[in-house]
This record gives sequence, C-alpha cells and structure tokens, in this order.
Amino acid sequence: MQLFKKLIPPDNWKLPVILALGVFTGLGIFSFHISNASSYLGDKPETCVNCHIMAPQYATWSHSSHREWAHCNDCHVPHGNIISKYYFKAKDGLRHASMFTLRLEPQVIYIREAGRKVVRQNCIRCHSELLTDSRLMNYNRNTNEFRRNRDCLECHRVTPHGRVNSLSSVPNARVPLPGPVAPGWLNNAIKAKNK
Amino acid sequence: MKSIQEILKEKPALGWLIFIATVVLVFLLGMLASSIVQRRAEAVFAYTPEVTFSENEPRNSKWGELFPREYNSYLKTADTTFKSKYNGSTMVDMLEESPRMVVLWAGYLFSRDYNQGRGHYYAIEDIQKTLRTGGVPSPQPNTCWACKSPDVPRLISQTGPAEFYRGTWDTKGPEVVNPIGCADCHDSKTMNLRISRPALIEAFEARGMDISKATHQEMRSLVCAQCHVEYYFNKNMIEGVQYLVFPWKNGTTAEDIEKYYDEIEFSDWTHALSRAPMIKAQHPDYEIYLTGIHASRGVSCADCHMPFISEGGIKFTDHHLQSPLNSISNSCQVCHREETEELIRDVYSRQDKLIENRDILETLLVRCHVEAKTAWDLGAGEEQMKDILTDIRRAQWRWDFSAAGHGSSFHSPVELGRLISGGIAVAQEARVKLARLLATLGHNREIPYPDISTKAKAQDFIGLDMKKHNDDKKIFLETVLPGWVKEATEREKSYDH
Repeated sequence: MQLFKKLIPPDNWKLPVILALGVFTGLGIFSFHISNASSYLGDKPETCVNCHIMAPQYATWSHSSHREWAHCNDCHVPHGNIISKYYFKAKDGLRHASMFTLRLEPQVIYIREAGRKVVRQNCIRCHSELLTDSRLMNYNRNTNEFRRNRDCLECHRVTPHGRVNSLSSVPNARVPLPGPVAPGWLNNAIKAKNK
Repeated sequence: MKSIQEILKEKPALGWLIFIATVVLVFLLGMLASSIVQRRAEAVFAYTPEVTFSENEPRNSKWGELFPREYNSYLKTADTTFKSKYNGSTMVDMLEESPRMVVLWAGYLFSRDYNQGRGHYYAIEDIQKTLRTGGVPSPQPNTCWACKSPDVPRLISQTGPAEFYRGTWDTKGPEVVNPIGCADCHDSKTMNLRISRPALIEAFEARGMDISKATHQEMRSLVCAQCHVEYYFNKNMIEGVQYLVFPWKNGTTAEDIEKYYDEIEFSDWTHALSRAPMIKAQHPDYEIYLTGIHASRGVSCADCHMPFISEGGIKFTDHHLQSPLNSISNSCQVCHREETEELIRDVYSRQDKLIENRDILETLLVRCHVEAKTAWDLGAGEEQMKDILTDIRRAQWRWDFSAAGHGSSFHSPVELGRLISGGIAVAQEARVKLARLLATLGHNREIPYPDISTKAKAQDFIGLDMKKHNDDKKIFLETVLPGWVKEATEREKSYDH
C-alpha cells in the first residue's frame, strides 16, 4: 500500500497517466478479445481451431469414430485433477500460442513426449477394459509385457487423426474457424456501402 | 523511502528510461495484437477459395476447375457397375423385378415405368427417359425438375419457387440440363453447405423450426433431405401451380404424415381397380433414417455415403455418392471393426428378413385391389366400400413408405418391421371386410390371384397401352430432346463472357 501510494503521480500528471493506462488496458482487452482468450478455459473443440493450423487435426477428428464420444481435451489434457488439467493446458497452450504467433510451426505437427503420455493415460481412462481383459492373453502371450511397457499409439497410430496431417492436408475441409476480426454489423455495413 | 516524484527530480535519466521501457512494451503488445489479427485474417482466407464463377453457376465442371479432387470423385457417380444384393448403381427395372407393383399402382404413372435409380450423374438423362414424364405436353408439372439439377436454384433465384413450378414439365426442358451437382448443396462464396431448395426451408418453418440454426453435422444430412424425402404437390396453394410441399407439419413418421394427408383429404390418385384414394410414398429416406440407430448416434448421411478419403498427402470428402456396401472400409470400418464380409452379411440379413414380409404385404395388396374391384363389379355401394378403401389406402401407404426408400431396411430395420407388420394387419383387416361384403353380395368363393408373373402381363392386366407410351417417348427423345440440348448449349455459352 505504501509503495502504491508512492507511485501516485502529482496532481498535474494525473490526466496523462490515466490516459496512458487506458491505452495499455484497452490494447490488452483488444488482444484478449480477438484471440478468443476466454474460450481457452472451456472444453469446446472449436477452441482448438482458433489457430487455423489445427484444421487438419479438427477435420480428421470430426470424421473419426471418436467424434461422438471424445473432444480434444478428453484426450489431450490430463484428467487427474483440476490443477493438473489447467496447469498442463496453460503450459501446452502458451507453447502453442508462442509458436503460432512467431510463425514457428512446422509443416507437419507431431505430438511431443509430454502430450503423448497424457494421451496414453486418456486412452486407458476410457478403454481400461482392454488392458484388464485377461482373455487377451490367449491371443498374445506378451500381453502383460505390452500393456505395462508399450504405448497404445505405437500401433493405433491412425486413431483418430490418421497419419496424413501436414498443414496442407485438408485444403477444403469445412472447419469452424474464427470469422473476420471486425464485428458482423461492421462488415455488413461495409458490404452494403460497397454495393 | 522517497516518493517517485522526488526520485525523478534527482535523476531525470530514470524518467527517460521509464519512457523508453513503456514504448518498447507498447510496441511489443502492438506487434502481438497485429500478429493475432493477421493470423485470424489468414483463417478467413486460407480455407475460402477464390471463386471466379457466379453465385448460381449450374455447370459442375466450372466448380470442378477449383475442386478437382471433389469433382473427379463426383464424376464416379457415372459408374453403374456396382450391384449389391438388392440395390447398387445399376439401373434395375423394378416392375420386372416385382410385377405386383404394376397392380398396386394401377391408374398411376408409376405402373408404366419404375426403375432402381442410377447415380446423381444420370439425374437429367433418366428423368428425360422415363415413361412417367411422357412426351409433349408432359403429364407432369415443372415441379418434377425440382430435385434434378443445380439449374433449379438458378431458375428459382430468378423467378421464385411458384413460377418455377408453374407449367408442364416439357416447358423447362431446355433450361434444366445439368445433373445434380455442386450448387445443389454448396454456397458458391464460402463452399459451406447450403439449403438451395425452398421446400425444405418451408417444411422446417411449418414445424416452427429454423433451418438456418442447423449445425454443420446436421447440414451433412439436411442437404440430402432437400430431395431424399416424402413430398407431394399441393394444387390448392396458388392457382395453376403444383407447389412442392414436404408433409411434415405433424412430424416425420409414416403415421404423422398419413394424419397430415387425411386432414387435408389428399390423395395422389384414385386406384384404377379398387377406386381407393391412394397416397404414393416417394422416397422417405431421411424420415426413415431419423428413426434408425445411426441417426440417434449422431451419424450423418455424409459420414457413410461420403466418407473422408486420402489421395497422396491430401484428405477430402469422397463425392462419389454411392452405397456404402461398395466402400466398407471408408464408411463402416471407421467405427465397426468387423470383417468386410461379416458387415455385408449383416446388411443383407436385415434386408432379406424385411423383404420377406414386404413381399407378403405386396401380395396381400394385389388381392385387396382385385377383390375390391370384384365387389364393385358385383354392385357394391359407396357406403359399403368406404371403410375397406380406407384400409387399402392405409395398408399400401405402409408398404410404399417401407419400399420406396433407398436402403431403408438397413437405415432403420426395426421401424420398417413395425410398418410392414402394421401394413399386413391392415391389409388383412380389409380382406376380412371384403370377404364379408362379397358374401353379402352372393359371392362366397376365393377370387383368383391374377397371372401377373411378368411386367408385361401385369401391365396388360390393368389395361395399359404400353405401345403408345413407348412410342410417345421415342418421338420425344428423337425429335424434341436434341432441340433442348442445342438451346441449352447456346445459352450456357453466354455465361463465360
């Protein structure tokens, strides 16, 4: 409080400082708004195509059998507890956001080790019966070894995104990408004027 | 501690430092904001094609220049080689397969000609060739074109739906020439799915629903529901216009639709033998699909009939619309991990079992019509026949609703089983009443089942002059059709300037 009081400008500086702070806050709110920042707290799959380079992942998922049962977050963030979920989400999300902003995305996006572990846990979360079904021993005597030490994705690589995932792999997919930055009424007004 | 004013008074350089730090911060924040704006703008353009043709471009090949993969796969609907146990893309003369249908449709144009359809590619050719559209003037209105071509939304955008429907079928022959294709389902600017047929929009409105609120996944079925539905032509809305209406006001089940038709006392035709006021079910594919397990699990038409396929490094929607029995791996095995043969066997077993009872119902209906005719011939009165004719109408509606669709016995086997068994009960009820009436009229013997073992015999039985109808069509195809094609080619040349 003491420190805060020290930062209060003298009376004749107050107006410029208020204006400067307003500029900062406004720019912050603008960035927050156009990046759909609040959507990142939710679980909607549309959020993941806020960055259009995720379109191949969205399109392949929406044509897969997982579409009706599992959304992006069901597989790609941990579900142990709310803290681990949002911690991972923030970590992964900030990485994605930085890569996207700095245009560092590779032509083909691969999942990283941390993400892979999370996905594996989530495979098991839903499909645990596949690991506990002792009848599988009949088919393969290494079942026990496999289920402890191997990764679902080692074999089930096409689930659910398929193996072709370059940024240019779905040029015509209909994906719910974010619309134009300017609000609809403004775009309509411009269109009407141009007519 | 000193206040900041005092510090700054002593060290003015610090003021400058704060100023520069702020400039850098605002600069970076501005960069971030503009990067976000830029990448969002990219999203708008990255997946929106630069379209060079007009909004209602009817020529599929023009769209194909921008979407070669989708267009090339669409062209495969020209392939007629695939034949499954009951359906497929080969044209099958259904009246030859089941001559009973000729008797069921006596007095109606379907008794002349009814084929198992081919792919979308042949939509125009096949409607021109069918005997149901006849010669000039055609016995059909322009409403019959409504589902056949992307020329339809083009023409409707010019005149509105009612004026499009007005007049006999032959009057719009030179205008409607491109088979079902791109503009029927796609918005030319965004390539998003769109509803191009007013009838579906109006059907939603009649139920107090707004089709523009449909999700993308719903649209992947609704674009098909523009045509693959039950419909009728309403002659009482606008003078001289047979207006296309989907009878969904009470709902989309066979009973809901029947109730709707009963309420407006509608019948497509009066049966030539039994004089029953009949309703012809068209192809209620969408309505039947809605009652099935795939629909309730969120699977759309496109999920199975237009699966995602991969060609080189590109994935796209297969526009070769066809029976999924010809694309089991892309259509079925995305979700069902059984062997191909086993999946096909599952489909066939459902079809076999349902068709077994559908055939029984079909035979019963032939008997109903023939027995009712005998009753009339023996002098039965209108009042005596009324209930019987209503039963015949109801029983045949249930049969037609089950038989007219493509693949309905797979889409919803339980619903179809319900309809067919209900139909059998109603048909037998009619026959019990007929037996009682015939006995009253002094006829207490079995009425022989007619010899309708072939299409020709059945058509002869109901008194059709097939030679005349075939000749009329021949004259139309040889003298009128070439003129249509020439006129259309001339007209379309002007589109490119």
